[in-house]
Amino acid sequence: MLKKIRVQKAVGTRLAHDITEIRPGEFKGAAFRKGHIVCDDDICRLQKLGKNHLYLIDLEDDEIHENQAAKILAKGLAGKGIHWKNDPKEGKITLHAAIDGIISINIASLAAFNMIDEVMCATQHNHRLVKKGDLVAATRAIPLVMKRAPIERAAMIAAGNGGTIGVKPVNNLKTGLIITGSEVYSGLIEDGFAPLLSKKIEDLGSQIRSVEYAPDDSVLIKQAILKCLDSGCELILLTGGMSVDPDDVTRSGISQAGATEMNYGTAVLPGAMFLSAYIDDIPLLGVPACGLHHRITVLDLVLPRIMAGEHIGKKELAFFGHGGLCMDCKECSFPHCPFGKGV
Amino acid sequence: MKDFKTLVSESAKVHGHLCPGQIIGVRMAILGCRLIGLDDPTCHDQIKKLIVYIEMDRCAGDAVAHVTGVKLGRRSLKFADYGIMAATFINLSTNSVFRIISTEEARALAPYYAPEVAGKSAQQLEAYKLMPDSVLFRVQKVSVKLNDYDMPGPTRKKMTCSRCGQVVRDQREVIIDKKPVCRPCTEDTYFSDAHEITWDHMDWTPINGTNVSDNNFFQKHNL
Repeated sequence: MLKKIRVQKAVGTRLAHDITEIRPGEFKGAAFRKGHIVCDDDICRLQKLGKNHLYLIDLEDDEIHENQAAKILAKGLAGKGIHWKNDPKEGKITLHAAIDGIISINIASLAAFNMIDEVMCATQHNHRLVKKGDLVAATRAIPLVMKRAPIERAAMIAAGNGGTIGVKPVNNLKTGLIITGSEVYSGLIEDGFAPLLSKKIEDLGSQIRSVEYAPDDSVLIKQAILKCLDSGCELILLTGGMSVDPDDVTRSGISQAGATEMNYGTAVLPGAMFLSAYIDDIPLLGVPACGLHHRITVLDLVLPRIMAGEHIGKKELAFFGHGGLCMDCKECSFPHCPFGKGV
Repeated sequence: MKDFKTLVSESAKVHGHLCPGQIIGVRMAILGCRLIGLDDPTCHDQIKKLIVYIEMDRCAGDAVAHVTGVKLGRRSLKFADYGIMAATFINLSTNSVFRIISTEEARALAPYYAPEVAGKSAQQLEAYKLMPDSVLFRVQKVSVKLNDYDMPGPTRKKMTCSRCGQVVRDQREVIIDKKPVCRPCTEDTYFSDAHEITWDHMDWTPINGTNVSDNNFFQKHNL
């Protein structure tokens, strides 16, 4: 229960919550912390902050303060790879990456959590790469004092399936590159894919195990795939031959190599002719020619998730559609732009 | 209790179709029985321990009734016409009582839980299978005052209407001027303009074998 008193009569009482000060463009934070005992000298400053009244809190048995609520909520929300401290600032607790990796949000749980009136949680986008310590999410209870039951229900919703917010580590995968195309194989043109893809792979902390070249021959492509698998590759990227020409036989080669799941076509531009396939549990990614021309393509959305152990199948490729349109900006700001953020 | 899939399949058959309400109702009943400590409510030992108040005459109501086995005629099913997707489960042997309310937000959340399913009804149906109880329901611990006249078992009391002679069971009579009166005589009823009629083949019994359908009996009386 909250009791309102005039600020002049508040000397000697403890503040029920942090009192925020905002100096536009300069400062936003707690001018006074919860529990501070109001003294004579504080009255003028409190009035300057627009506080003519303060709350005294007398909690009923079934009520809790916003700081207690924030702790319960953060505990429910935080999954693996998340670090948080029970030190609410202005009623809010922030959740940070405990490891390098990709953000993993259970969007349904998050939505269900936020449908409860008394609580909120805002997060970064799902699947975004973060470094240890990066801010991932923040939560708070909305009222200053509230019933305990809805807070506990929200925390239960958030805690389902190991927590709503997590960070998955991006694993070091031994990667094989297979550059297809008779024009490259015969030396008619120089390969641009190998250096470009090697950098992308290595930037994510993985290593290139082998680079194979194959002409537009599905049997030779198949043999190159099997060679990569024999050498212990945990991920195989194939370039070229992913389009609609008669010479585009890479898909056939992947199929002949024994792929049990093949998903050709994504709802992403650039990257519509991208392919994901699996031989046992080893992912094979078919990178279309757009990967040479565009700095960022569907591959940049898929690679971190593959390395974090996610399975990229038909559903995942289809769900890229919302937000899957690159605006081809003059100055690319990925990953800070909307590209790939709709899933 | 049978498994969820079997209960849904049976409930849909009894109800007439499979719909999101069947999922809500089956899950509401499973949760309700769990909360009041009955693991097999339709078995002989438990069937007399259970009363359920259902607050909606919607698909979910049939599912709750099917899973719990409560029946109007057994007085274990009570209908409170509130228009609320809720039901209250009472264990008479422990006096454990919980009211379960289906959340409105579950509808809004269906696209998040089953984004790959197209169509509102199909999406809700799938999503309601996936949502945890904490998203589908709110639960209240409540008290329900049950008097002897609400309990299952034989009729506790019969009164005769002082106006029309109708026998009224279980204290459902109204006392007017210290005399018992049946509800129809108070005119506080769901029907009006009641007048007695005669009808064709009034002598029909299942034993004498008169085939009433041959005489357009049903058509004549819009039955």
